[in-house]
Amino acid sequence: MSGSHPLNQVAIVGVAATEMARQLDTTSAEISLRAARAALDDAGLSVADVDGVAARWPGPGGTVFQPGSADWAEVFGHPLRWVCDTYPQGVPGALDAAAAVAAGLCEVALVFGGQAGVMGGAAVADYTRPDNEFIACWGSLTAAQFALVAQVYRHRFAPDPERVAAIAAAIRNAGSNNPAAVMSGRGPFTAADVLASPMVAEPFRLLDLCLATEGAAAMVITTAERARDLAQPPVAILGGGAEWHRQQYVNPPRYDEVWGLGADAARRAFELAELGPQDVDVFELYDINTYEVVRQFEMLGLCAEGEGADYLWEAGIGVDGRHPLNTDGGLLSYSHIGWGGPTLKIVEAVRQLRGTAGPGQVADAGVALVSGAGSGAQYHNVMVLGRG
Amino acid sequence: MDGPTDQLEDRSLRPLTGEFWAAVDRGELVRPVCADCGRSFFVPQFACPQCQITNWAYEPSTGRGRVYSHTTVHRPPTPEFDAPYVLADVDVEEGWHLLTWIVGCQPDEVSIDMAVSVRFVTGPDGYRLPAFAPDEAAR
Repeated sequence: MSGSHPLNQVAIVGVAATEMARQLDTTSAEISLRAARAALDDAGLSVADVDGVAARWPGPGGTVFQPGSADWAEVFGHPLRWVCDTYPQGVPGALDAAAAVAAGLCEVALVFGGQAGVMGGAAVADYTRPDNEFIACWGSLTAAQFALVAQVYRHRFAPDPERVAAIAAAIRNAGSNNPAAVMSGRGPFTAADVLASPMVAEPFRLLDLCLATEGAAAMVITTAERARDLAQPPVAILGGGAEWHRQQYVNPPRYDEVWGLGADAARRAFELAELGPQDVDVFELYDINTYEVVRQFEMLGLCAEGEGADYLWEAGIGVDGRHPLNTDGGLLSYSHIGWGGPTLKIVEAVRQLRGTAGPGQVADAGVALVSGAGSGAQYHNVMVLGRG
Repeated sequence: MDGPTDQLEDRSLRPLTGEFWAAVDRGELVRPVCADCGRSFFVPQFACPQCQITNWAYEPSTGRGRVYSHTTVHRPPTPEFDAPYVLADVDVEEGWHLLTWIVGCQPDEVSIDMAVSVRFVTGPDGYRLPAFAPDEAAR
């Protein structure tokens, strides 16, 4: 793949995800370091090669600006040329790292993060309880913010509940077949199982919603030139884009403002890639809940507003479907590790393009779409990946 | 005692939002209004989101509005909240909106576009809050 835009000069050369579980007996810093070293091993590189870091983990470790990417210079034993703390994970982290490498600010950028030893049994993760003074007082968990968007969609389009639930069941079945998934072996699931699970915040039932688990993920980005000499076939960043509608969890998300969130970012990403959504072989979409999956297919323009559930029902989203989706089990069933969650999408997409994704491998996958966050978070980002 | 007690932070001292909470404690609903363009906005910001003028002031609201969206929460984020309760995004008459609760009816009686009016309640942490209830007068 060759092109003229700067992203063509870089490649993703290493990825890794640690073991995933509801609780891990280690620290966030340790599990994050383990993912970082594994991604470097995967690439055939070492800590000594790293001159750029984008990292986030919920402590311990770090200093007054903690936790901060520059803290890893101490752990790695040498100075860094580039750090990124704005959104140092997932698609934004990959795009920032790619831009830094393309601009020559650093040569080997390591993006990593995760969490361990922080999830408290039955209580919901603290990052799902926004503490803004106009949000927290109402008992508004993040799922409820997304629910406010989904409720307007239901009111206007009345999607078939069974067809919406079938999306969660399909993703959860992919996770059930993935030995690395937190919910491995827990299936098979049917739409009826999803519809019989307890209500959390209408219209979301327990099985519509993502996990909150522990583990870490990492990726290594370097120049396309250096990638040619490394251990793995390089994966190219064909295009990417982000939309920041407003700061998350301050004002409630409005359906009329955020249902199409990401459409502009996707248009720009596909323009760079000189491809369209119909060219995507495998989708690794941010499945914070079932309706977000519906929303993203409508946002991408693969079907009209209001038709997403019917469209996916007919297209098929399993490995053999027209739109293979969240082949590792996604955030619903594989794992969602806080800040590391967005990076898991890239790890699976890279493995798909290498042909090493395991039971969820899509035959001859050549183009993958990755996305992050969504309507309730009021920002969205996408990246188109291909074989380097 | 509906207002802040000795154990609670005095919300009226908060920057930007203190006047809003002080009004709530008096049983009044107010919203920021831009002195330049007249736009009402929420949440309070240091500048008007339409013209970026920092010269704005709180003005009284009628407290009447309509439900833009709502969700019934069955599993609260923390045990202090007594589920089920109805979270809603309410469009208030003057052209602003806020996250709130719908009270004074059963959760399954709440619908999108339902007319509501402000009704002050006490939240689980002891503070007064501007919730909304079905507005019988508007029916």
